[in-house]
Amino acid sequence: MADVSNPQAKNNLQDRIVLGLVKFFKAEWSGAFLAILILGIAIELASSGRPFFHPSNLMTILNNSAAIGIVAGGMTLVIITAGIDLSVGSVMGMTAALTGYVASFWGFPPYLAIMTGLGIGLAIGAFNGSLVAYFGMPAFIVTLAGLSIWRGTGHLSTGAQATPKLPETFDYFGRYNPFAGLRDAYKEGTLTGVWERIGAFVDDNWINFFRTFQMSMLIFIGFFILLTIIIANTRYGRWVYAIGSNEPGARQAGINTPRYTLITYMFCSFSAALGALLFLGRAPYAKSDYGQMWELDAIAAVVIGGTSLFGGRGSLWGTFMGVILLKLINNGLTLAQLDTFWQMVVTGLIILVAVGLDIVRQSGNPESVRKLLGAIAAVMAFLALMTPGAIFLRAKIAVLEHNASVDLREAGTQLAAGQNARLLSPDEISQFQTAASSNLLAMLLLLALVIAACFVVLRTSRSISFILAAAFIAMIIPLVLLGYQITVPFLVLGAAALLGSAFVHALFAKARTLDVNAA
Amino acid sequence: MKLNLKFAGVAVAALLAGSAASAQDVIGYITKSATNAGWMMINQGAADAAAEEGVNLVSVGPAFQGDLSSQLEVFENLVAQGAAAIAVAPVDSAGIAPAVNDAMGAGIPVVAIDTGVAGAEVTSFVATDNYAVAKVQGAVAATLVEDGQPIIYVTGNQAQSTGQERRNGFMEAFAAARPNSEILEVPTEWNSQEAQEGVEAILNSRQDIAMVANAWDGGTMGAKAALENLGYGAGDVKLVGFDGAGDAIAAMDEGWVHANTAQMLYQMGFQGVKAAAAAARGEDVSARIDTGFFLVTPTTSGVYKDMVGIE
Repeated sequence: MADVSNPQAKNNLQDRIVLGLVKFFKAEWSGAFLAILILGIAIELASSGRPFFHPSNLMTILNNSAAIGIVAGGMTLVIITAGIDLSVGSVMGMTAALTGYVASFWGFPPYLAIMTGLGIGLAIGAFNGSLVAYFGMPAFIVTLAGLSIWRGTGHLSTGAQATPKLPETFDYFGRYNPFAGLRDAYKEGTLTGVWERIGAFVDDNWINFFRTFQMSMLIFIGFFILLTIIIANTRYGRWVYAIGSNEPGARQAGINTPRYTLITYMFCSFSAALGALLFLGRAPYAKSDYGQMWELDAIAAVVIGGTSLFGGRGSLWGTFMGVILLKLINNGLTLAQLDTFWQMVVTGLIILVAVGLDIVRQSGNPESVRKLLGAIAAVMAFLALMTPGAIFLRAKIAVLEHNASVDLREAGTQLAAGQNARLLSPDEISQFQTAASSNLLAMLLLLALVIAACFVVLRTSRSISFILAAAFIAMIIPLVLLGYQITVPFLVLGAAALLGSAFVHALFAKARTLDVNAA
Repeated sequence: MKLNLKFAGVAVAALLAGSAASAQDVIGYITKSATNAGWMMINQGAADAAAEEGVNLVSVGPAFQGDLSSQLEVFENLVAQGAAAIAVAPVDSAGIAPAVNDAMGAGIPVVAIDTGVAGAEVTSFVATDNYAVAKVQGAVAATLVEDGQPIIYVTGNQAQSTGQERRNGFMEAFAAARPNSEILEVPTEWNSQEAQEGVEAILNSRQDIAMVANAWDGGTMGAKAALENLGYGAGDVKLVGFDGAGDAIAAMDEGWVHANTAQMLYQMGFQGVKAAAAAARGEDVSARIDTGFFLVTPTTSGVYKDMVGIE
């Protein structure tokens, strides 16, 4: 519309970029998407071997996101109605176990076992939904009880035993590869003409592309497309949002809110059951302890995707991105071979960053965006600081612990085995002391940068941002001379964030005039 | 009123008489999991030992695997109820220590099963020496690959002594025998889903992985599913397990798993509860009971299956 009413906007590339940016940041999924992009680039830089942004790796991430993704899709609708469902993980575990159980021990044909599983999901949803919608019980409590009830029921009904083997039909929900048959036929040489050429192409690119092209991923994407269409085009979809933003108002407007709340909870548990089937398609066996903590992962994915926990606002594609972000963290940190305990810390930090991006995005306030960019520069300087800083601190702490142990021993205290381990030999002490002194200068330089960047977050002008960005770049020279090449990417990124922060206000002003013109 | 009091007195006397007649010591047994295949074997051993010793075994497990707070709560309840001894498989070696100290201080013997307690004395520690067995696992795994071939190691929880010892033992023995092989790690908290996804990610980014070694058999089965998801057949990438769980042994018969260091799981529960019962009676109990291990390979799997009763 803007293009038609304002011919200038159509012609001016700069204006179009600004408008494109505005449109991108208005989408609820942009926060999670940006986090995915930033994280992906970071992992790309950190890991060796095949590139991270390789189609087969991305498809692996999608394949492994499928089961939890579908669970999170159902959760999104519940959260949009301002509810919550803490029982999804248990429902998923119980359905997975029972579906596998009836298929392998009761001799149910696979389709009947699948129907049983989905039916259990719907029934549990009806139970949760009725209590919430018609008895007025808090959703948090009903589903918290469900978390325990359904996990216990799953263990009880299957004796918590794994099923020995799943029928192959379940592969169609997971690892089945639509191209596998074609490739086999090609290898046997039964293909002719065009089909033979296609078969050869598939076989040549098997490892690089087709191997990971599996049903999990296709069902996952299909589910979200279908659900988005339903939510965007039906009365039900509009009412879900209406119930979430103002329930009494929706009821006064004549919406049968209990019925639609019930349907939403039924759909959520149904999604948990469907997620269980997708999980079975890739898992070694069916077991009732599957899906532990999935409720938290699903809620995290929904919130990272920009959906409000207070209801009325949110998007399915945000959840889609949120799930991928969570799985990408695991996948990427494994490929980068980061230390286990650091993985835990980094996972939490990334979630904070993703939600922070989203909050700043929603505020639509140029000053917040500028502060965020300033904060990013400060964090980058901090990360650079940690390289010499960690060595310095570790050395200082080791010497301090040694001295404390010596003092204790001199005071006549009996030392435990763990405390004795803190004692150092004279050689080690001198090593630590040289490590501390050789890192001192670099640490002080970087500490100055961190403090300056923090100051810029609070108060700045465009010229100060420029000067500090220049300082970031200038700092590279002494640090490289001191042997800290590893800090270079952090400093470059920090400088880029500072330069960007200098233009935020101008960009917002421009966008506003364009928006006014468009309107 | 008087009648009521008299009645109450009779009831209490009857109760006391009843308990004196049966004279059953209550042994608390706190397990780590009631649903994990390996733990179910340990729990079975514990139940059989209690029947043999004629003690009343009160078994309780955490709400989910790795839940320390519920384990601490159960521990305190058992102490309060006057258990004669407690056998515990700590989900966290250090976290359980204060509760163990309290119980030992109150004169209740505590036997640790499978996982040791860090920072508190226990009456007895009944377990496989994880570190020693993991060294055997690493040495056997090394014979399955050539020097220079990269491998994956699926770790257990690294905040726990069991996970740390298994990893350290494997790494030391394998690296000593195959110094040029790269070892890529997939960190997990004893969760087969994490194992599956991590192994899948690495196998997908590199084509040269020769073997996946695992810290426990849930990881072995997760790694097997990852191989199946990527279309590998049995033996394309070798699997090495730890625990000797039934499904991993079945996978060995199909050609997926090439070696498995089996703990004597049943023995762990059996001897653990026997030690607890003996301590409750005031007998001396060895401070460290090693329950041993069995190296299962395709040639010895028949012997192992007969021994532990896998059909």
